[in-house]
Formats: sequence, structure tokens, C-alpha cells
Amino acid sequence: MGNIFPRWTNLLAIKILVGLGALGTCVVAVAWYSWTPKYTRVGYMPQQPIPFDHSLHAGQLGMDCRYCHSQVENSPHSNIPAAQVCWNCHGPGKVKSDSPKLEPLRQAMDPNYENYTGKPIEWVQLHKVPDYAHFSHQAHVNRGVSCVECHGRIDEMPVVYHAKPLSMSWCLECHRDPGKVLRPLDQITNLAWTADDLDPEAFYAYVAGKTKAPVEELKKADEGKKWDRELIGAHLQKAWGVHPPQDCAACHH
Amino acid sequence: MRWFFLILAIASITVALALGPRGEKFSSPPFMLFPDMDNQFKVKAQKPSEFFENGQGARVPVEGTVPMGYAAPGENGLASSRLDFSRGADYFNTGLFGDFYGKGFPEELKMDEAFLARGKERYQITCTPCHGTSGNGAGIVSKYWAIPPTANLLDPRVKAMPEGQIFWTITHGKGLMGPYNGVLSVSDRWAITAYLRGLQAASGN
Repeated sequence: MGNIFPRWTNLLAIKILVGLGALGTCVVAVAWYSWTPKYTRVGYMPQQPIPFDHSLHAGQLGMDCRYCHSQVENSPHSNIPAAQVCWNCHGPGKVKSDSPKLEPLRQAMDPNYENYTGKPIEWVQLHKVPDYAHFSHQAHVNRGVSCVECHGRIDEMPVVYHAKPLSMSWCLECHRDPGKVLRPLDQITNLAWTADDLDPEAFYAYVAGKTKAPVEELKKADEGKKWDRELIGAHLQKAWGVHPPQDCAACHH
Repeated sequence: MRWFFLILAIASITVALALGPRGEKFSSPPFMLFPDMDNQFKVKAQKPSEFFENGQGARVPVEGTVPMGYAAPGENGLASSRLDFSRGADYFNTGLFGDFYGKGFPEELKMDEAFLARGKERYQITCTPCHGTSGNGAGIVSKYWAIPPTANLLDPRVKAMPEGQIFWTITHGKGLMGPYNGVLSVSDRWAITAYLRGLQAASGN
């Protein structure tokens, strides 16, 4: 009786295993790289009905975010402005009121316009957490977390795109170490703010007033430390008693 | 085996090139392999809803009804929609006594430093683009666009206005200025009025 299995089959099992291993590695690598919000959400830049330019309004003109997003401090939901807010500046006889780009605004607001519908402008939502996660804007902006931490430099974006992943692990990065993102409350909408913009004297006086610790003591404890976001944030976290929750029910309630 | 690795390498490179790097700009809605319960069929803030006839999730009160927490519209001739974001038809909510602008600040307000600071903050957010930081009417808008001149709030004409009229103007707008009753709450409008009085006093006109 001759050999049932020819010679080349000797290594077949090993070859199959190695082949499957290589294939598996490739599949895992692709999934690891692209099956995450860092890939699927970051860079999302949808076309809006009106090509509203944030870099012009918030950047060049220096308008505060809250001129339009007026309820961000009072509500979990940061409102998209009503067409009336656009109309305040772009109504008849005002800024660029004849621009063809503003066609949807005229449809929504101008009763004398031939294509008037009176229907709201249908802006496209970019930043979205899943419906089972409850994010509150007011809880964050009233506790020293700036718009820029989640939305990026909106004031430099002609067309807004998704800048941060907004994934759960990304949320937890800050909830575990909030100090690195806290800043003084009057600088929340100043997206370009850096630690150098803050006057150390005034800041120590503020912290001393909050924590009841003498200014000299605070300064002495910080001697030799670099004046940066981490240092400022650590003080603010202590002064305000910021303890972000990390339990499931904090967001999935 | 060699062929297998060659094909695998080509396939991997093709997939990698097709997917592209992280953070690339794209305009189609984000891909979701398992949407789970990410998009639930419920009414969400400022979102459309297929459930209602006009497609809007947000509802307006049924005609002749008043939402909980709101007072019934007053009888001083103002349409009820003008009282949005307010609780009644008294001086605090309208700036009016009957058909006349009221003078002075309503007694519901606590006039202290925090109130003025609030007024300053809200003024700088909402009013500066047109009226300027100092109130002189030379805001950033006037630097770029030749629209009809914005009111100089330091002018004796505005200084002579009763507080109720300034409140009423912020609420309902005037001339080219639109209404700000949907953006600023009632007490914020009074706070801005108070801060404006401070600006006028400081200008010395």
C-alpha cells in the first residue's frame, strides 16, 4: 500500500495555521485602526443647507459662541440658533442680505419672498452621542470645560468638521483626570485661550478666595512648577470640588 | 504559500488605501456597523419627528392653552407670542405699565454687583457685534459692512429713555434691530439695561 498522502501535505496543517494567523492579524489590524470613532467620526464634514462659516463669525468677527448657541449654559442641549437669530443680522437691508447662499434663510423667514415656506432650516447634526448616553452641555461649560475640548478649534473652521472622537473611552479620559481640561469660567468660549493668557497673581488670589488657603502658601507649594494647563486645572479642580462621575449611571441613566 | 502571502499583502494594501487614514474629511454620514440603540425613535431637542404632521419634534402650545409655569397672556394689547420666554404681563416681563414705558428697575430684581457683572457678560456676548464694547454704535459689523448706522447707546437720546423702553427695545427690536426675546431671558435683558446705564454714566455724555 503506497502513501495515501503525498509528500507536500506534510506541512499543510502548519501552512493553514500560519495562513489563518496572517489573515486574522490583517483583519484585526484593519478593524483596530478603522472600526473606532477615531476613524468613523473624526473628519465628518457634512454639507449644510447654508455654508455657514464659523471661522468668519467666531474667528474674524470675534463673536461669542453664545450669541447663537444662547442656551448652552442653561440646557443639556446646546441649541442651534433659530432662523430669527440669523435674521437679526442678515435680514432685509442688513449684512449680505442678498447673498444667494442665504436662500434657505429667506425661505424660512421672509414672508415677502416668493419661495417663502416658513419652515425651519434643516441643519445637519455632526456631533452626536448615542441616544442612550446623556451628555449635558450646561454641566460642562459651567464647570470650566471649554467648547474647544470636545469641538476643536471651531473658530478656525470655514466648514465645521468632527474634530474629536466623542467615544466613551475618550469621555473617560477627562472624567478620570479632569484637571487637564479645566479653565477659568470667563474663558470658556475663548477657544484660543492658553495658560499664558492668565495672570498668575489674579489667579492665586481667586484660588485663595475659594479654598481659604493663603496666597503665599499656594505659591510656595507651586515653586519650580511649570505654569501650564495642568497646574491651573489642578488648582481649579480643588477650588471648585470637581469630581466627575465614572459610574455607568452618570451618563447611561 | 508564497502566492497566498502575495495575495494577502495586495489585499491588505488595497483595503488600507481604500479606507484611508484617520481624520480624513468626508461628508457622508458616519458608518455604523452595529447601530445598536444609538438612534432611538423618540422626540429629541430640535430634531425632526415623523410622528407629527409638520415633521417637527418641537411642539407649540395648542391655541388657547398656556404651558405649565407660564402666566396667561395679559390684556395690555401684546400678542401672547411676544411674551415667549417670560412669565407674565407685568412690568418685570414687559417693561410697560399699561401703554407706557416704565421708569426704573422692577422690584423683582436684586441690584447688586453680580447682577451688573451678568449684564456686562451678556452685553458683551449679544450686543457688542453691532453696538460696540463701549456702546458707541461702532461694533465690528460697522467696520466691514456699510449697513445703516447702529444706534449710539451713549447718545443723550438713549440716555433719556426710561428703563422700560430699553428693555422693550431689547425684547422686540427696533428699526433694523431684531427682537432678542428668544435669546435673552427676561432678567438678562434687565441686567443688560442696568449695565448700559453704567456705560452711559461712565461715558459722561
